[in-house]
Amino acid sequence: MSANLKKQFFQPYTGEKARISRAYDYLILVLALFLFIGSFHLHFALTVGDWDFWIDWKDRQWWPLVTPLMGITFPAAVQMVMWEKFRLPLGATLCVAALSIGTWIARIFAYHYWNFFPINMVLPSTMLPSALVLDVILMLSNSLTVTAILGGSAFALLFYPSNWPIIGMFHEPVQYANGQLTVADLFGFQYIRTGMPEYLRIIERGTLRTYGQYATPLSAFCSALLCTLMYTLWWYIGKWFATVRYLTKI
Amino acid sequence: MKTLFIKFMVLLSLALSLNTQTANAHGEKALEPFIRMRTIQWYDVQWSTQKFAVNEEIIVSGKFHVAEDWPVSVPKPDAAFLNISTPGPVLIRTERYLNGKPYTNSVALQPGGDYSFKIVLKGRLPGRYHIHPFFNLKDAGQVMGPGVWLEIAGNADDFRNEVKTINGEVIDMETYGLSNGIFWHIFWGALAAGWLLWWVRRPLFIARYRMLQAGLEDELVTKQDKLIGKVILIGVPLLVLGANWMTINQYPKAIPLQASLDQILPLSAQVNAGVVEVDTLKAEYRIPERAMTFLVKINNKSDKPIQIGEFATANVRFLNKAVSMPISDNTDTMIAPEGLSVDNPAPIESGEERTMTIIAKDALWESEKLDGLIRDSDSRIGGLLVFYDSSIGERFISSITAPVIPKFN
Repeated sequence: MSANLKKQFFQPYTGEKARISRAYDYLILVLALFLFIGSFHLHFALTVGDWDFWIDWKDRQWWPLVTPLMGITFPAAVQMVMWEKFRLPLGATLCVAALSIGTWIARIFAYHYWNFFPINMVLPSTMLPSALVLDVILMLSNSLTVTAILGGSAFALLFYPSNWPIIGMFHEPVQYANGQLTVADLFGFQYIRTGMPEYLRIIERGTLRTYGQYATPLSAFCSALLCTLMYTLWWYIGKWFATVRYLTKI
Repeated sequence: MKTLFIKFMVLLSLALSLNTQTANAHGEKALEPFIRMRTIQWYDVQWSTQKFAVNEEIIVSGKFHVAEDWPVSVPKPDAAFLNISTPGPVLIRTERYLNGKPYTNSVALQPGGDYSFKIVLKGRLPGRYHIHPFFNLKDAGQVMGPGVWLEIAGNADDFRNEVKTINGEVIDMETYGLSNGIFWHIFWGALAAGWLLWWVRRPLFIARYRMLQAGLEDELVTKQDKLIGKVILIGVPLLVLGANWMTINQYPKAIPLQASLDQILPLSAQVNAGVVEVDTLKAEYRIPERAMTFLVKINNKSDKPIQIGEFATANVRFLNKAVSMPISDNTDTMIAPEGLSVDNPAPIESGEERTMTIIAKDALWESEKLDGLIRDSDSRIGGLLVFYDSSIGERFISSITAPVIPKFN
């Protein structure tokens, strides 16, 4: 049984109660930040993995398909909790911001200082614009269906154009070894990765490119469709976790 | 109990710290022996130098034969990547050649094919590193070539890696695109932080939960909130698309990542070239003596008498001391200088066919974990048998293979 307050009897907290309530806010925020930095970053590393680790994996076909699809998971679940229980439209932005912090820490300390890769070779992608739009669509629509369809689609469709300003310059062509490479490919060739041979890259495979050579829009719309479903699935996962069964009085 | 536990932990920490050792290997012997012996058969591997400085280049070159008797449990080498084992990019690879052709991607190797390779490396981080050339074989693993210890002197800050794009722009690979990437992350991070702070500045969880339960939803999301939301809903996509459009115009020649497989044909036959034919009739491994005995039928079709000088497998060389020959090897290849003997040391005359017993005997079978072959699901041995003509001039190499019978006594 959840707490049930009546509008006419509602009294806001004041004095000591208000201060403790605010302290509780900060405590939860700090804990949530560390929780999402750790858990979302781990989830992202295990599911998106190399597509986001390396500049020469960020292709026009699989990267824009996989990254938003795996990236919308935690935001959907946290949005459900934050919106349904608190009317706070910041779940997606909070998650993705935490992910960005975790990713940057890993790229700087694990990849650069520990394993000597130049940071520009392991630049993370950004999903913050997608997350902001997802949050405001939920706030303005107050609807799971609209957010799943419009927000989920926007989350996927905005991903590649958000990141092209970051990675576009790495797709400049270079003449190398009697062939043509991108600067990103050249990073993969020059900066030796013992456990990462070139053939392991899952890039440019499959038939998505067959529609007039436009691989990216096809991948992005495919991702958009899947994101609507993934959003809904993870919304309910969030709902499953966010029980107030034991909250009887507040 | 608590004190005992603390003492135990302190002692454990001390014991672990006392036992700290530098890792001097990286799994060279971990791969099953039949894969190391019957896939990529390396020979003549040379390093141009082992001491150099940051920004200086070194070359590792050599040859390899792709075994005809490729293990059935190992996928065929349709995608193989000639790599360098390093602890991170302490060196960079500036050039790589297979059979004299420069290439950057993976290649399909042909079983039975012969190849020569050359890799040019440039010092990046000072230190002492154990480095191997090796092949990443798709779905099979890493087959190591002979390694060396390299000492790189100098200062890491002096490292430069400049590359010219097709447009003629010279870029520094160490910093290219970094400040731009950081800028965009900070830009979107600042907007996201602004959105989060906009909400976090107000009482959050308990207060909002109570208000929501009391039906005061309208007070939780104000008109001002919604106005800002609408600005974000329109402004962020416009910013994204605008920045994307500007980047497309800034880099109109950008191309997709390149994902082709290089095609390089093998050299004309260097191993099993048909001049000296070897048929392995039987192979026995005597465990107590650490000795592999081959019964082979040799047909010398050359116009010179020849002698067996060496048996090489999985970076181990068993040499016949009765045949003096130069050991051109500056790698960490394991050498048994007296490891090879034959039952009939007389040269095999031109046109002669002879059945001989060859014994490769040394503790290296055990220390290099090659004797594990007899416990593998595939217990066939492979390796290169090297012949020299009697004047120590020409060299003939045969790739031999046979099932191994263990002898326990």
